[in-house]
Amino acid sequence: MKFNLSTYIISFLLFGLFVAPNVMAQEINLRDYRIRFRFKTIKQPDQSRMLEASFIAANKKDRKDRLPVYGAEISFFNVSEEEKVALGTAKTSKEGIAHIILPKDQSYLTDKEGKFTLRAVFAGTDEMKRQEREISTKDVQLSVELAEKDSVQTVQVNAHILDSLGVAIPLEEADVIVSVQGMLSRMVMDEGTIEDGTYEFKMPADLPGDVDGNMTVFAIIEDHDDYGDVVQKKTVEWKVPNSSNQEDENSLWSEVAPIWMYVVLTILLVGIWGNFAYTITNLFKIKKEGQKLKTEPMK
Amino acid sequence: MDVTIRKKELVKEFSPMLLKPSKWSKIWMAILVAFILYGLVALVVQLTKGQVVTGMRDNVVWGIYTINFIFFLCLSYSGAFASGVLHFFNTPWKNAVSRIVEIITVVSLIVGPIFIILCMARLDRLHYLFIYPRIQSPITWDVIAITTDLIGCLLYLYLTFIPDFAILRDNSEGLPKWRKKLYTSLAIGYQDTPTQRRRLHKITKIMSAMVIALAIVTYSVLAWIFSLTLQPGWNSTIFAPYFIVAGLYSGIGVVIIAMYLIRKYFKLDHYIRKAHFLSAGVILLITALLYGYFTFSEYFARWFSHKTHDANLLETLFNDYFWMFILANYIGILVPIAIVFFKKLRTIKTITFAAVIAVVGLWFNRYLIVVPTQETPYLPIQDTRPEFVHYSATWVEWALSFAGVAAFVLFFMLLMRLVPIIPMSGIIDYEKKGKVRRDGLTQQQQP
Repeated sequence: MKFNLSTYIISFLLFGLFVAPNVMAQEINLRDYRIRFRFKTIKQPDQSRMLEASFIAANKKDRKDRLPVYGAEISFFNVSEEEKVALGTAKTSKEGIAHIILPKDQSYLTDKEGKFTLRAVFAGTDEMKRQEREISTKDVQLSVELAEKDSVQTVQVNAHILDSLGVAIPLEEADVIVSVQGMLSRMVMDEGTIEDGTYEFKMPADLPGDVDGNMTVFAIIEDHDDYGDVVQKKTVEWKVPNSSNQEDENSLWSEVAPIWMYVVLTILLVGIWGNFAYTITNLFKIKKEGQKLKTEPMK
Repeated sequence: MDVTIRKKELVKEFSPMLLKPSKWSKIWMAILVAFILYGLVALVVQLTKGQVVTGMRDNVVWGIYTINFIFFLCLSYSGAFASGVLHFFNTPWKNAVSRIVEIITVVSLIVGPIFIILCMARLDRLHYLFIYPRIQSPITWDVIAITTDLIGCLLYLYLTFIPDFAILRDNSEGLPKWRKKLYTSLAIGYQDTPTQRRRLHKITKIMSAMVIALAIVTYSVLAWIFSLTLQPGWNSTIFAPYFIVAGLYSGIGVVIIAMYLIRKYFKLDHYIRKAHFLSAGVILLITALLYGYFTFSEYFARWFSHKTHDANLLETLFNDYFWMFILANYIGILVPIAIVFFKKLRTIKTITFAAVIAVVGLWFNRYLIVVPTQETPYLPIQDTRPEFVHYSATWVEWALSFAGVAAFVLFFMLLMRLVPIIPMSGIIDYEKKGKVRRDGLTQQQQP
């Protein structure tokens, strides 16, 4: 058979196109995915309560392949044995998250222990099954006190629940995380346990605050069986402003580069551009000689 | 040998290539212009709607524009390197390929940087690169290096064109007036006198050494843009030499493809011979072996050290990009080696086929260097929308990429209409030295 280069090239390119996974669009088969419908409640620092449902399809084989379910309508309810009160609905975002925020004076249907039950429901479609999650929680009052005790900056976390008569009952035991707000996320300072409604932590003295010297301290009860997520924060002017360090002179990160960089760059550029100039000068000399020959032909 | 007559003969021989575009070359040009126009439409869409029309997002901020930029600079670098070596060492077979590589060098150096400009979302701030340069930044080095390299290569290309401009000026009977004027002004009064010849030879030789150095510096700087970061897959001490070897590999590939097409469509069999392909094939083999060695070292070290993020990257490469990895790093290296290694397999067509595989494989290799690393960042990807997690080029990016390739070929064809693709002055010099005896004519005269 005669060797035909173009046939080889075309078949090679076609092969490349068919095998290159990112070049061609891929169809998604829902059977390869496991639906993850999660529901949590977060009591926020302003005492409002956020109900958040996350709706993600996770690939059974590839853990990195997670597809958020977008635009699904999630209904939130407060339920008791006899009653069901609709709290609101929200559609999942492009990240697969739907949430509503209940005001701090929201009243709930509670049982005799003071617990109330919240439910998130996705009604289902032709392609996706109905999803439902429920959580029961108690309303915790969490507070953070920031004070200097014997010149030591101390974080005191207090937590209690209110009984049916409105009497504060200190929390017996709950894990708490103390963290400070950073630029991108919160930095955990300590993890401890609230006992008899209180927990104390001594802050390190070498933490920088923001540019005004402020530091925001968070106390967080996370994913607790009885209380869910509870977040409280307080800002205090404790620290020295996080002014930028005195600039090192002539370094990689300072305004001006190390001296050697200027020296090397100058030598390189002068050498190269000098050579360009030399070449152009010689071109002018060639031109000059050409003009001379033109004016004095055949001399 | 009467040089004047020989010059006339050569001008006559190459005139059809310069003056009369064939039907096919007109069709080709029309197709290329259509691609460029399509790219311009995509450009308008991108400029009016912003970068959101591309597949680039918060994590993958460098897509196929950057890959094309590296690829074209890679061609330019290898072209400059090859051209510099051919001139500096006065290689016996330089005549056949020197102009091809010179044109590749300059055209790719013009087309390449356009892609990096396309990658920028805030073109209104482009001049900040020059107003507020940070000497410590590899980006600044890159701007300086590419600008210097472009000027150096243009100057060098011009030097190599001067004797041919002079020949065309002196034998311009039947040429349109504008061409005569153009050749006269570009020839800058070059009459091939001993002084002019010596002077031109001296500066060409110096510039040929300079462009080799410039090419190495420019391409190293480009590699450092990646390797001086701490990103997994990029932070590597061998990245600069790896880029240089990869550049040579693809550059030789493109030169072979160009030689094949020019030889075939302009019927220059007596100038571009099998021997040239065999020599270029051997260079392709050597660079393929070196490139394969560097590629193996690069991935082997990452696999063996098994740092968390390197392991994640390799997992991504071997899962999400499995076939592309095989295509780029196995087929793209081993097939050209296998073809060129065995003497019996070495024909013009097989060597060209090996070159095509090398070039396509290398483009995919660039893709694997640029994209998967950005898909496996140190900080977890916050926005989990699929287009944020996985990069996929859009039609705008493909349209502009193909327009870039079309512009490259079109510029190449236009430059070929300005000066002969085989340097006439080189042929005369060669014949003067008596090393060959007017091969073109003697071969044509053979029964």
